[in-house]
Amino acid sequence: MDLYVQVLVSGLLLGGVYALISIGLNLIFGVVRIINFAHGEMVMLSMYLTFWLNHLYGLDPYLSVIIVLPVMFVFGVMFQRLVVQPILTTSATMKIFTTVGISLLLQNLALIFWKGDFRTVRTSYSMSSLEVLDIIISVPRLVAFGTALLSIIILYAFLKYTYVGKALRAIVEDHSVARLMGVGVEKHYWFAFGLGTMFTALGGVLLVPFSSVYPTVGVPFTLLAFVVVVLGGLGSMSGTFLAGLFIGCVESFGGTFVSPGLKEAIYFAIFILVLLVRPQGLFGKGKGTEEVGLK
Amino acid sequence: MRKALILGLSITLLLTTFGAGAFGAEKLELGALYPISGGLALLGEESWRGAEIARLVRNEAGGVAGKEIVFAQGDASTPSAARSEAERLVEQKKVAAILGTYSSSRCMAASEVTARKGIVYFELGAIANSITTRGYKTMWRTNPTAADFSKAQVGFITDWYAPKLGKKPAEMRVSIAHEDSDYGTSVADSFSNLAKAAGIQVVSVEPYAANTNDLSSVIFRLRKADPDIVVAVSYANDAILLARQAYELKLKAPLMGTGGGHSIQSFADALGKEADGVLNVDFTQYEVNEQFTPGLKEFLALYKKTFNEDPRSGHSLANFMGANVVFDIIEKTGGSLDPEKIREAAMAVDIAPGNTPTGWGVKFEENGQNVMATPLVTQWRDGKLVTVWPESASVMAPIIRE
Amino acid sequence: MTKNKLYIIGAFVFLVLLIIPLFYESTFVLHMYTLIFFYTALTAAWNIPAFGGQLSLGHASFFGIGAYTAAILYVNYGVSPWIGIVAAAAAAMVGGLVLSLPLIRLRGPFFTLASIAFAEVLRMIAIDWRSLTNGSVGINIPFKPSLMNLTFQSGMPFYYISLALAVGVVYLTYRIRSSALGFHLRAAASDDEAAKALGVNTTLTHFIALMWSSGITGVLGLFYVFYIYVLEPQTFFSLDLFSLQPALNGIIGGMGTVWGPVIGAILMTPLGEFLRFYLGTIQQGLNFVVYGLVLVLTVRFIPGGIVSLLTPMIKRKKAKKTANLPKETEVA
Repeated sequence: MDLYVQVLVSGLLLGGVYALISIGLNLIFGVVRIINFAHGEMVMLSMYLTFWLNHLYGLDPYLSVIIVLPVMFVFGVMFQRLVVQPILTTSATMKIFTTVGISLLLQNLALIFWKGDFRTVRTSYSMSSLEVLDIIISVPRLVAFGTALLSIIILYAFLKYTYVGKALRAIVEDHSVARLMGVGVEKHYWFAFGLGTMFTALGGVLLVPFSSVYPTVGVPFTLLAFVVVVLGGLGSMSGTFLAGLFIGCVESFGGTFVSPGLKEAIYFAIFILVLLVRPQGLFGKGKGTEEVGLK
Repeated sequence: MRKALILGLSITLLLTTFGAGAFGAEKLELGALYPISGGLALLGEESWRGAEIARLVRNEAGGVAGKEIVFAQGDASTPSAARSEAERLVEQKKVAAILGTYSSSRCMAASEVTARKGIVYFELGAIANSITTRGYKTMWRTNPTAADFSKAQVGFITDWYAPKLGKKPAEMRVSIAHEDSDYGTSVADSFSNLAKAAGIQVVSVEPYAANTNDLSSVIFRLRKADPDIVVAVSYANDAILLARQAYELKLKAPLMGTGGGHSIQSFADALGKEADGVLNVDFTQYEVNEQFTPGLKEFLALYKKTFNEDPRSGHSLANFMGANVVFDIIEKTGGSLDPEKIREAAMAVDIAPGNTPTGWGVKFEENGQNVMATPLVTQWRDGKLVTVWPESASVMAPIIRE
Repeated sequence: MTKNKLYIIGAFVFLVLLIIPLFYESTFVLHMYTLIFFYTALTAAWNIPAFGGQLSLGHASFFGIGAYTAAILYVNYGVSPWIGIVAAAAAAMVGGLVLSLPLIRLRGPFFTLASIAFAEVLRMIAIDWRSLTNGSVGINIPFKPSLMNLTFQSGMPFYYISLALAVGVVYLTYRIRSSALGFHLRAAASDDEAAKALGVNTTLTHFIALMWSSGITGVLGLFYVFYIYVLEPQTFFSLDLFSLQPALNGIIGGMGTVWGPVIGAILMTPLGEFLRFYLGTIQQGLNFVVYGLVLVLTVRFIPGGIVSLLTPMIKRKKAKKTANLPKETEVA
């Protein structure tokens, strides 16, 4: 019994970070309607930034958010203006390939500038853990989970109660209706991109205390984030959060009770099944998704 | 019409002319094939550095058979790249022999090419058993194989660890955790077979993907299996993650790495004092009995002079030692790389252990494998990888952390 | 530029390609050409669903399935690879069938994502299912040169085999494109709803295209494994090598056209190899930086691919000479 609870706890903690990284993708994907294959590279860049701030200036990874988040916000905005804006009118295919190219570019620039070494930040809490009723809870993973939860609540409130937030939600639900309602859809693209990148970067920062940084560290996150977003439903923040936790648990249970080598295969298979049976996602509303290929 | 004709023709010609190439006479050109980009770039390059130092030293001393050694470099970033690069080195650069490769899968792909062309291939660092069991007459390997790693691990468990626990070998319970590429899989298989043959119980085998960011499920499975020791086969990232999560999730059994990620300085940097006590089996490392490894100190000095830093792992040393053996063989053939002459010279080499910078002896079997090369058991102690077993090479006695 | 003249040029280039191996001993040059031909065929096969606007990034799955089927039959049961062709095609088509299930409901980007996930699942299964695939250690094709074994002492036979494959597959895509299936596909690509309104069963159309594409890709997997002798999951189910690369060639050459894949493969294959030789050894990763830039810039400035640059040239000439020719047939 203990083992099941322990596996569940591990899965949930892992899922929190997945949720955070995916929330960023959901915003970008929902608003700008672009499949960003360089999403994992944004995680990678924020992790490197955190690492260097720690390595050169001794800044604690958690404190480095005050620098990393604004920088990555600007990076996201620049990315939208310089890379995404010019290809907005082209087909989905062209968008995919532009971002694939950017992903290649960023990974290998990282390799050139920072070498292939595995960099790790060591903090006093890197390997500390709590023990509650024989269940072991890793402290940095708990912090990551808590921060993810908190920032998703903040984002939720932002989307619900501010004017910009409401506009973003309208855009996510349906581009053309939003336009009819007088929302300047394209005007919100850069902001959504910046905001989405910022949340993704927060996920990256929270990974640093317990995960190594290297040029290809972001690769698995790209597909993972898409799986989470699709499962959770486009435009649904709470759906993404739940789907993130769900995928974390699938990974944890699948890894422990089926085979550690097949844990990704299991959630990819679930992904394909969900696309087949309920393409609007497990928790999604399914409105306005036709234009990105769901029906 | 004519334009199109010319276009078609010039494209064909353009492609073809890239194939040309010519070289001077008094140079001995060898292909140096390592992964220097892609996922294995770090240790691939580290391996190349060892061979490069050997080349520089040898050239300063007058070269091989009076010829200056030149490396034609190839990048074996993936197995298929290794294959193309081997083709290119042989056909375009006209090298008569290739050395390399660090990665077993790259070596396998590249040496299939050379074997078919009757070109000699010297492997200085890849450990998969199959490299020298395919029956190729042109394949030579100076470094120990995966089976040798397993032998060292089994030897350590039966001869040192079991008595320490007051158990018989048959009472020892061992788990294996390995990354699931060919490297991890073949090394784990090899260990599993030898351990079973020695009567040790292999209670669980846990393969996992190396590019993961969570190995808690592996630790849970290990905890359930409750072994006396966990033998791990890992690359860099997963070695760190496995050790961190083993500590966090309170895995009782000590970890014993199998080269790879457990030998790199970044492993100790990432784990700090928690790295202390992690065991490892690998090529000769730098904290080793100097009587056993003559020439090691000189190598360290040369390395520092050439690359302005300390070696990042023992791979460079192994390649340095291997390249020197290769140069000696070529010296004996008078600079010829004819497979028959190489065979004659190689089979005549006989160096007892304790006479090279890695401490490895040299004696080739018919299949091209150096049977006198043995890996050593090391242990992380205060941020350094210290040789602890066998006694002839050790500088400290091993400890088991509680 | 009339049709006849195009045929003459085609025949001439083909003849030159036929005699090249007689003049070049260097197997490296042959290897380079062989790779180009392989990728031409692979890209052309990938391009069939692309006629209908479907972008797959999971073609490595069919490639791997074909390769594994043939290699397992040959190594374990002694079945000649020539017979294995049927099995490889069939097995890859079963893979295509599975992937086409989501097609019932998915279009565009989500089909693309599903295809990536599909190939990844197969890769992990190939790693895990060791009794069948020998896991990551992989399967070696024993070196027993004979025509029946599709194993040769020199690289020359494979030069001709891959040339034949390239010509054959490109010709096939040309036929498909100008058949009823081709028209339906293009109708679905330009406007799915309108095509449906005209009575085209677009789901069935996409499905048939994927069947052709997967079957051919499976056969190419078979030939490739006998060419490089070593079969393991990381290479044969590789996203980079056999899913992204053909798609990349297709995009750069011109997706959904007959000649786009040919041009793409001819340009990108040597570019990739040479960048690795000349830049990869200077600075790790620099070759991929160039690769990424080429990709981004092509998509940005010539979204129709290189074919779209050549087409107006040919069209203009044609318009001068044969003003009455129907539009459809001219730019194949």
